[in-house]
Amino acid sequence: MLAYIGRNLLLRVVLLFIVSVLIHGLIHLAPGEPSAVDPSNPRMKPEDIAKIRAAFHLDDPLYLQYGYWVRDLVQGELKSFKDNQPVLGKIWRRFLNSLPLFICSTLIVWTLAFPVGIQAAIRRGAVFDRSSTFVAYALISFPGFFLSYIAILGVVEIFQVPVIGMRTFGMEGAAGSFRFMDRVWHLVIPSLLAALGGIAVLSRYVRSQMLEVVSQDYVRTARAKGLPNDTVIYRHALRNALIPFITMFGLLIPGLVGGSVIFETIFAWPGLGLLGYEAILSRDFPVILTLNVFGAMLTLIGTLVSDVLYGIADPRIRLE
Amino acid sequence: MRLKRWLLFAPLLLTVFLLQSYFWVPTYEHQATGNPKRLVTYIQGSSGDAKVLNPILNADSASSNIVGHVFEGLLDLDADLNLRGRLATEWAISEKAYLFVSASNRFPDGTEVTGTQLINRIRAALKEKSFSTLAKNIKDIQVLPPEKLTQKISMTEKGEDGKPKRGEVEISFNMPARVVFSLHQVDQDFFTQLMPVIGDRYLENFPYDQHLNLPEGIQPEIETQIHAQLADLFPVAEHNPIIDFQLRKGVRFHDGHEFDVGDVKFTYEAIMNPKNLSPRTSDFEPIKFVKVLDTHRVRVVYKRLFSPAINAWMMGILPEHLLNAEAMQQEMEKRELSDAARAAFGMRDSQFNRAPVGSGSYQFVEWQSDEFIHLTRFEQYWEGPAEYHEFFMRIIPDLFTQEVEFHAGALDDYGAQPHQVSRYREDAQYQNFSSLGFGYSYIGYNNRRPLFADPEVRKALGMAINVGDFIKYLLYGEGERITGPYPKNTQWYDPSVPPLPYDPEGAKAILMSLGWTLNADGWLEKDGKVFEFNLITNNGNPIRKNIMTIAQNAWKKIGVKCNTQVFEWAVFLKDFVNTAQFDAVVLGWSMGVDPDLFQLWHSSEAGPQQLNFVGYNNPKSDDLIVRIRQEYDVKRQREMTHQLHQQIHEDQPYTFLYAPLGTKVLDKKIVLVQRDEDGNETYEKIYPTKSGNIEFYFNKWRKLEMTPDF
Repeated sequence: MLAYIGRNLLLRVVLLFIVSVLIHGLIHLAPGEPSAVDPSNPRMKPEDIAKIRAAFHLDDPLYLQYGYWVRDLVQGELKSFKDNQPVLGKIWRRFLNSLPLFICSTLIVWTLAFPVGIQAAIRRGAVFDRSSTFVAYALISFPGFFLSYIAILGVVEIFQVPVIGMRTFGMEGAAGSFRFMDRVWHLVIPSLLAALGGIAVLSRYVRSQMLEVVSQDYVRTARAKGLPNDTVIYRHALRNALIPFITMFGLLIPGLVGGSVIFETIFAWPGLGLLGYEAILSRDFPVILTLNVFGAMLTLIGTLVSDVLYGIADPRIRLE
Repeated sequence: MRLKRWLLFAPLLLTVFLLQSYFWVPTYEHQATGNPKRLVTYIQGSSGDAKVLNPILNADSASSNIVGHVFEGLLDLDADLNLRGRLATEWAISEKAYLFVSASNRFPDGTEVTGTQLINRIRAALKEKSFSTLAKNIKDIQVLPPEKLTQKISMTEKGEDGKPKRGEVEISFNMPARVVFSLHQVDQDFFTQLMPVIGDRYLENFPYDQHLNLPEGIQPEIETQIHAQLADLFPVAEHNPIIDFQLRKGVRFHDGHEFDVGDVKFTYEAIMNPKNLSPRTSDFEPIKFVKVLDTHRVRVVYKRLFSPAINAWMMGILPEHLLNAEAMQQEMEKRELSDAARAAFGMRDSQFNRAPVGSGSYQFVEWQSDEFIHLTRFEQYWEGPAEYHEFFMRIIPDLFTQEVEFHAGALDDYGAQPHQVSRYREDAQYQNFSSLGFGYSYIGYNNRRPLFADPEVRKALGMAINVGDFIKYLLYGEGERITGPYPKNTQWYDPSVPPLPYDPEGAKAILMSLGWTLNADGWLEKDGKVFEFNLITNNGNPIRKNIMTIAQNAWKKIGVKCNTQVFEWAVFLKDFVNTAQFDAVVLGWSMGVDPDLFQLWHSSEAGPQQLNFVGYNNPKSDDLIVRIRQEYDVKRQREMTHQLHQQIHEDQPYTFLYAPLGTKVLDKKIVLVQRDEDGNETYEKIYPTKSGNIEFYFNKWRKLEMTPDF
């Protein structure tokens, strides 16, 4: 097991290197210049632009630029083109902002999708199953940003309360409990909307997984033993149906970086997604690169975690 | 079954917990209950985050908004856009004029020029009646002895790889004796008026060769480059305008340090320091030197006549004690930077730009990137503290989101678009304002094209368009008709110039009289060629796109064939505008407050990459443009700008369309607070100044608990 993890880690480091080189090349291939050296800015003189370009190493060959980037990243001195702030500090702060949104929407997805999926599977073909299928497909088909706008408009016009950002502005003078609950309220709408698609998809998986397991021989045997229906479903069937979902846990992790670009932008939530989006718009190469590599790293860790979890959960699989 | 119960309860609990939080959040109507501080907090929406909070480095609107509250300049503009003292209480403009004693020249009567001769002749002449106005302006005349100057001159040479390379050469120049005149007032015609004494051609043919020492072994190409610059570097006759500022005493920076003349000098030097890469360098380039007279008096001497240069002093003043070499050294120590980082360390790298300290009405508290910037009022502000205690700039990139937050009461102000403003007009909860700003839109014709060479043609094209349609349908009424190149809210704009009438028949008649005739297809034709051209604009601006369509349709009615195209901004500039490869463009300008139009309209600025891309060329206008930027008397300046406005209106190089109105929507509870000596408050409705500035009295704004009746 340990040997497997060690070998895999090594492989993933090599993979990460390849990915980072690819991303670096891709970003520099894309058209556009960092906004700080935009030649159409009339306030900038050519010699100033030349100086800034030199300071950013923009005129050096690509492999050198890659080298500088790795060097600065490792030394922790990598700075954003846009505001000269250390990139790692920036990412860490945004990561902390994204985390509650991520946790809350994941909680909503996983707590809601399972009951819905299981019930739909148990009552296959009944009204609940049909209507949940209909709603799930409707949610999958509607674009998230459209629903978000509808939700924002509805909540603001009907309930007259703010929904955007991480908290209500101007609440600094209020009591602590109010401020905490205000933050919770601001989590509700974006995480709910970010979760809707997830609920729809995951509940469909749970349903089909349950259906498959319920038709297995051992479930029939359990029923034949005369066990109560709940015990058959929740003890014998559900446990086996859960195994594939354990692997999904690991794959959730990279969603931290890229999963919420749309919702963070619409709700002005200062998280990683928004950071990446804005960095791309202003061609802030150090931030885009680091964020992408961070995302790649999380993906690689995620797949490793899910492999390992799978091995632990399912005795039929042995990692070697 | 425990698991079954859990599967049911967990989502239920989570949902209940999340949804109950709604009851803790204040609604719009009750936003001050339990939170009275909300009334003294102003929250402004911004679509972009600030980049650098330093008055000498910022170049974006979000940064300048914050910088404007935190920092203060020596001057600013009052309600009528005249200069007003802030950190400076008074300022006086005078001049020192220098004239070479040009020994190779002769006086009109044939005698040789010497220093004493020159000064005696001028003194004698000044006693005559015809020179009385000149004599009144002269405070003092002196002769300066010759001196030897060494100076670095920039040039381009061929590098080893054959590409041109920028470099510098040190030369020495034997400055001849000079007569220096101290003048009470700047006079751009000073030397012209002296001509009868010194001779009409005194300023020409100075033998620079005899006064120049070049380093050994210099290449002949570089020598020619140096010679070309000499007349500008060491002019025979030189104007040095001087501004003496008297600084306000007792002003403090937010950290308690007292503001004095050192801060002004430091700010100037910081801008000119090439390491800081300040985008303001060109505004301060005309300055020759800044001289400290005493702790609160400073003299600024300029290299040449350039009256708009004084406007640069509206820029915020930096605190020297926090940014000088010593402070920078301390910061580097504290941050434990590597040697490489230290070598490159400049003001741009300083943490000051993230946590600025100025002397303005608000002091900096906190900046969360892409979220908000928080300021709090400066209690010791010299004009008294502002009414709003807290100021937030929230960063919300999406305009829709901004509007939603405004409705929910989490924003007090946002960039409302014209169509939104018209929606608020019917809502009793809000007050709204529309006022003139510094921008305008136009259709520019490439004056170099034979088709547009005749002003009458351009006039006819303008007459065929109904500008009222643009304002009514594209701007929802939030625009005003304009007739010339100056912003309508400034005194430089001549309101007496009548706009072109909307008269398609008249337009057709003008073109017919120029030899155009309608052909069988209904198009105007001359010498077998149809009146046809391309009208282009940049992508991403729906209003401009619509202007093109309306104009195209209007011109079609008089038989002019216009094809329209939209290009991506970079392509639009690179392939069409910068190279002048276009027929006509729809564009807009955002102008400054000064009357200098050199870059936009002078014929010397019509080259590639320059701003007079329509190629406007009229010697009369050129002369006015130069004289306006050299004139220091506002009244005379105004007369000349009105002349220029009329001239450009006659030439119609553009069809001037409209100036869009700046709009703002505020809650009606926000009012202007006036206090008498005893501290009693009276309230007034917020109003824009004559110049169109709605936020001019911002420091007196506050939100009341109830909607007042005015």
